[in-house]
Amino acid sequence: MLRLNRRRFLGSSAAGLVASALPMRSFAAGSSPLRMQASWINDGEFMGYFVAIDKGYYKAEGLDLTYLPGGPDVIPESTIIAGHADLTLTTPDTTIKAIAEQGAPFKIIGTEYQKNPLGVISLASKPIRTPADLVGKTLAVPPVNVISVDAMLKLNHVDPSKVKIVPYAYDPTPLIKGEVDATLDFVTDVPYTIEQQGVKVVSFLLYDYGFTIYNDTVVVTEDVLKSKRKELVAWLRASRKGWNDNFADPKAWPPKFKDTWFKGSGRTVGNEVFLNEAQKPLIETPKGIFSMTEEGIDANLKALADVGIKGTRKMFDTTLLEEI
Amino acid sequence: MAALPGERASAGRIPPGLRNLVILLLLWEVVGHFGLVAQGALPSPTAILERLWIDRADYPRHIEATLIGSSLGFLFGNLIGVGAGIVFALSPRMLRLFRGVNVAIFSLPAIAIAPILTLTLTGMEPRVVLATLGVYFVTMTATVVGISQADSRATDMVRAYGGGRVKVLTMVQLRGALPSILSGFRIAAPNAVLGAILAEFGGGGDRWGLGVYLLGSLGQGMPTRLWGIGLVATAIAGLSYLAFALIARRFVGATRAVTLNAAVPGGDATDEPLASRLLFAAGSLALPFCFWWLFIWGTGAPWLIAKTPLGVADYLFFSPASASAQARLLHALGQTLPVTGIGMLVGLAFAFLLAISSRLFPEAVRAFMPVALVTQTMPLVALTPLLVLILGRGTSLTLWVTISVTFFPAFVTLAQGLALVPRSAVELPRAYGAGVWREMRMVTIPASLPYLFAATRLTVPRALLGVMIAEWLATGTGLGNLLNQSRGYLDYGMIWTVAAVAVLVSAACYQIVVLAERRVLRRLGMRTAE
Repeated sequence: MLRLNRRRFLGSSAAGLVASALPMRSFAAGSSPLRMQASWINDGEFMGYFVAIDKGYYKAEGLDLTYLPGGPDVIPESTIIAGHADLTLTTPDTTIKAIAEQGAPFKIIGTEYQKNPLGVISLASKPIRTPADLVGKTLAVPPVNVISVDAMLKLNHVDPSKVKIVPYAYDPTPLIKGEVDATLDFVTDVPYTIEQQGVKVVSFLLYDYGFTIYNDTVVVTEDVLKSKRKELVAWLRASRKGWNDNFADPKAWPPKFKDTWFKGSGRTVGNEVFLNEAQKPLIETPKGIFSMTEEGIDANLKALADVGIKGTRKMFDTTLLEEI
Repeated sequence: MAALPGERASAGRIPPGLRNLVILLLLWEVVGHFGLVAQGALPSPTAILERLWIDRADYPRHIEATLIGSSLGFLFGNLIGVGAGIVFALSPRMLRLFRGVNVAIFSLPAIAIAPILTLTLTGMEPRVVLATLGVYFVTMTATVVGISQADSRATDMVRAYGGGRVKVLTMVQLRGALPSILSGFRIAAPNAVLGAILAEFGGGGDRWGLGVYLLGSLGQGMPTRLWGIGLVATAIAGLSYLAFALIARRFVGATRAVTLNAAVPGGDATDEPLASRLLFAAGSLALPFCFWWLFIWGTGAPWLIAKTPLGVADYLFFSPASASAQARLLHALGQTLPVTGIGMLVGLAFAFLLAISSRLFPEAVRAFMPVALVTQTMPLVALTPLLVLILGRGTSLTLWVTISVTFFPAFVTLAQGLALVPRSAVELPRAYGAGVWREMRMVTIPASLPYLFAATRLTVPRALLGVMIAEWLATGTGLGNLLNQSRGYLDYGMIWTVAAVAVLVSAACYQIVVLAERRVLRRLGMRTAE
């Protein structure tokens, strides 16, 4: 019997009519569906997943993966609470804050970046090399990351009120024109864009100044962890393979995605190659990509505790990694 | 949209509008080419076109996605709008019952509810819903106005031959309403496009659409591309308006100029007992909240992210975090409301001055129109980086953004009003030797008062929208920033609170303007302008 479910009631069928709007999907008969929400638009940050999809690694694991691109205003955690995706990539500070303060049912089951690529980027002509240099300066920060900057400033005994924080819309123009003194962005990415315009930049990682957290942590809800454990392990395994292939030659893959994954993003292949090479040391780890060591988890919890976010070891589940 | 002053050119001359546009483009080219504005952040038109050409392969799919989203919204909005319009026109009681919903839809600042839509819906749905909302109000009012203006002689005719209510509706009222409905579609079409693009800024798991493209390109530091995308969006909105203008002309020969009707139809209740009037007023207030509940139930979104009216009340007054939430909300309101009020007043004053000068100095105003038109449809996200470079990130930026979004609709309404001042009334003081200014003071300005109120009603929600966009993108203060930051902190209670408060404030201001208007106009013996 056909039952009208409540989502359909509001006319999601309208969206279903639009085939071109459907997310990329790797079909496989008899495989289990899994939906993944990325944390940003399609760029080099997600190379490993694109490689794994194109090489059929998920399919080989029996997964029918739906990949949902993110964007500046997609809050990844929201999509898994709403049930729009099974698994997402997040910044651990917002995730842990949501678990601790709102009782959100999240578990962190792995991490893409061992070291958070977020950093403070400034022009070489007016360099900002340490947190202390930020005093009296204007720093453009995406609203999602204000919490991380506050954390880093406090950890380095800089009074956050001494730094003027303005919204950052991911546009480097204000920095190039000197309207702001620094921006908070991925140091693996933005320096390329700016240096293309003939301006030299300097940067430092928040990670290197005590804000020792991961990034693009792999997060699921407790329900999904229970009901789809097998699929999640399979996803980790296939994704790790994809990442390993990608880093075997970071220059090789981005050009292949020019007319598929990266089409219409408005970014250049050169930019993706730069990103892919720059992120290699931040993602690779001797224990295997996605690993979370006890020391690493400790460092995350300590950095967050210093800014009043009370995380616990229980919010991390490393047992899936052991099953890869 | 009203016929702009001096739109029609006499034959055999270059239309002044076109000539001024060319002069403006040349000026822009020089300024852009030599980087004279904002340290070169304003690119020249040729540079923008060059970039458009380079990027041409990127566009088709983005345009397609935006068109699909806005077309679906246009379709649903019109279906619901015409349907609701018919029901409201036939049953004044329903109209009164739904007044609260209609005011809320008219005055809701799209930016405040976009995050809620992206939280609770997926894929194309947020854009379709936002486009639908933008279309519904215009079409609904156009239908109500069209039906209630049906020729009573034709109605009597059908009745005399034994036609019932349905016959009257199909044979007279709907036919009579067609020109009005079609002109409604004209205004609704660009609304659908802009609504869809605005929702695309909210992301939601789709990589296609002009809004998505614009956001993705922000990080590239390429003003030429941002302007290119903005101009393409503007062109689509403009073309959709033109297309429906042509259709309207072709099918009904209707060339009637129409502005967005800012009067929420209310239904007449003067001859009803007080108890029944109160009942309807209460129902009309309660209904928007019922729709809120229904929406959450319909989406099936979990309680953690989808807050019902009770959930918001709980968050704001009874939860452990309520003290901090109240403090943050009041602080933000304290920053947002004064700027909104001032921006609205300045925008209206500017529009009023310009409308008056359009009679005194028509040439100068015509030169200014193309710029004003572009600022109305250009996505503010594309303009803001430029504005930040020119104006900084202070209150002046917020004010300018607010003025730019409020001024144009206000101007069109006012200019239309001024044009309707009876000629004989204008000529009387002239005949007695009064100068232009004196005539203005004694006749034209008082006579345009109803239109000033209509313009005010129109600008209330736009002013709040403008302020919140500026706060979100540039200044990092007030409600706009609170909304954005709450999303970063996954503070769902606050997201819903800000959305609800923004709509309530906007609807309350609208209602205050309506009440003031009624009192003032009644005292002056004037009628409300539509």
